[in-house]
Amino acid sequence: MTLDKTTSLEQLPDLVPPQATVALGGAWFANHPMAAVRELIRAGRDDVHAVALLGSIDVDLLIGAGALSRLTFGMVTLEAFGLSVNLRHAVQEGRLPIAEIPALSLQVALEAGGRSVPFLPLRGPVGSDLVALHPEVFGTATSSFGEEAMIVRALRPDVAIVHALRCDSAGNAQFDGTYGQDPELAKAADRVIVTCEEIVDRAEIAREPHMTKIPGFLVDAVIEAPFGAHPCSHVPRYGLDAWTIHSYQEAALAGGETYAAHVEQLRSESESEYRERVIGEHRGRVLEALVEAAVVLEEE
Amino acid sequence: MPDYEIQELMICRIAAEMTAEGEHITLMGSFTPLAYAAYMLGKLTHASDAWLAGYNAVGMPAIELSFTGAEPAAYKAATSRASFTENGHLFHLGTRGLLECVSSAQIDGTTAINLSAIGPYDRPKVRLPGGAGAPEVVQNYRKLVAYFSKHDRRTLVPVVDFATGRRTPVGREQRDALGMATNGPVLIVTPLAVLRKDDDEAPFAIESAHPGVDPETIVAQTGFELTVPTQVPTTTEPTGAQLALLRERIDPRGTARFDFLSGAERMSYLEQILDAEWRRAEALVAGSAEVAS
Repeated sequence: MTLDKTTSLEQLPDLVPPQATVALGGAWFANHPMAAVRELIRAGRDDVHAVALLGSIDVDLLIGAGALSRLTFGMVTLEAFGLSVNLRHAVQEGRLPIAEIPALSLQVALEAGGRSVPFLPLRGPVGSDLVALHPEVFGTATSSFGEEAMIVRALRPDVAIVHALRCDSAGNAQFDGTYGQDPELAKAADRVIVTCEEIVDRAEIAREPHMTKIPGFLVDAVIEAPFGAHPCSHVPRYGLDAWTIHSYQEAALAGGETYAAHVEQLRSESESEYRERVIGEHRGRVLEALVEAAVVLEEE
Repeated sequence: MPDYEIQELMICRIAAEMTAEGEHITLMGSFTPLAYAAYMLGKLTHASDAWLAGYNAVGMPAIELSFTGAEPAAYKAATSRASFTENGHLFHLGTRGLLECVSSAQIDGTTAINLSAIGPYDRPKVRLPGGAGAPEVVQNYRKLVAYFSKHDRRTLVPVVDFATGRRTPVGREQRDALGMATNGPVLIVTPLAVLRKDDDEAPFAIESAHPGVDPETIVAQTGFELTVPTQVPTTTEPTGAQLALLRERIDPRGTARFDFLSGAERMSYLEQILDAEWRRAEALVAGSAEVAS
């Protein structure tokens, strides 16, 4: 098998067509494809329509760096660190068109896209003002047996970008810890880009096939990006760099030149320079140790 | 009665809603310390057989609360893992969810919660995070608890600026008629009181007032109509055993206090907790270096 889909992170922006709708993997502070996010910003993109189920610093940074032309989302928050400052400003000032879709409905819309069906029924968000606000997403359907159900229309992003634990050159992508809805994003999208902690041989993938959540035939590009979710977590490999998120949020709250300098710093360096500057050897080990440090309370 | 902080009383009241019901499961959702503390307290006391899920993981024992540790702890101890899509169908949309705790910017007397926008939706004064899965979950879970770190008329409002989600209908009979097996109560838990709604036609009622809070204060601080019973019960206070579990095992760093602090105090508190979390992980790195050398 000689199929080789590997490429470099620098090539990633070229794989995202102009004005593309791009579904980003991960959830909350877990496993967002941050190396890819940084690379889109380095390329100076300003035309991305992001789809984020449960976004955090991924979406905030893309907005802050001016990379988004539109946002479809279920939630964007920096949780304990505060509201998403850049989402707030962009929406409050009318600079960013948004489509706020309840996250479970958004999940089902993406699932429908992956299944190649026009819509799927669900016990949806009856009572939410978002239903009436989005007639292009929500509807009702009646089966020939007479039952009526709320439906969501299928969503098919142009591109999905997800961050995997490991992947082979054919695109067989393995996940272990938190992977959100990444497999269904890959099934729904026309083009699938997998960044991963490491590219491994097919034989290594085949040893644990149950961990392959995205089969390679769906995947178009494979990019090795160690610490590619940083500062988000990639459990079990490393935990959340809450300290880097905290200083990011301080820069976002300060805004103006302080935040512009933060974005400029990212633009001026390569991803490996980013790793050297922000993570380094000691910090990397501590982030890895967070997983071991986490405490499970045995039942008494 | 031991001394306690108000969030500890709220945690204990919410924990009482954690029940071991084999066909239902409680999802932890994003890391919201007060809700997590209640789930864990239930698991470690009266509801040890209650099912828990969090992130992509399903079926874990109680975990210690920590900003960096909650996700890896849930991962390490789980007995299965699945994609959000599968779990979404199985739990949230499949009506197998037991207890949902939400905390929104606003709630009104119809159970509408606002997690979207303060002010006009299109040009809001404050753009909020969005509801994640709350709009579906508040409809489909058996029990719904909305909790707030403040009880005032800006939070418990006459009408929300925007209904991100709403439980409708609320009444057991009306839900039964629609084939919704998920017919538990809607509770509001605040620093002043527990409010409860069982019926679409009737307003929220005061279920209990916290010790030292009179019903007039609760009514004055609530923006929507309340039913006040002739005898207002007092919320049960935490026991020494519950407080010990919370302080020593479930939440030794006091992450659940976090939502009750404001501004600068909150950030410096967060920094203290994060320092402690860093030191614990760093000690493991130092330890393994010693073993290696």
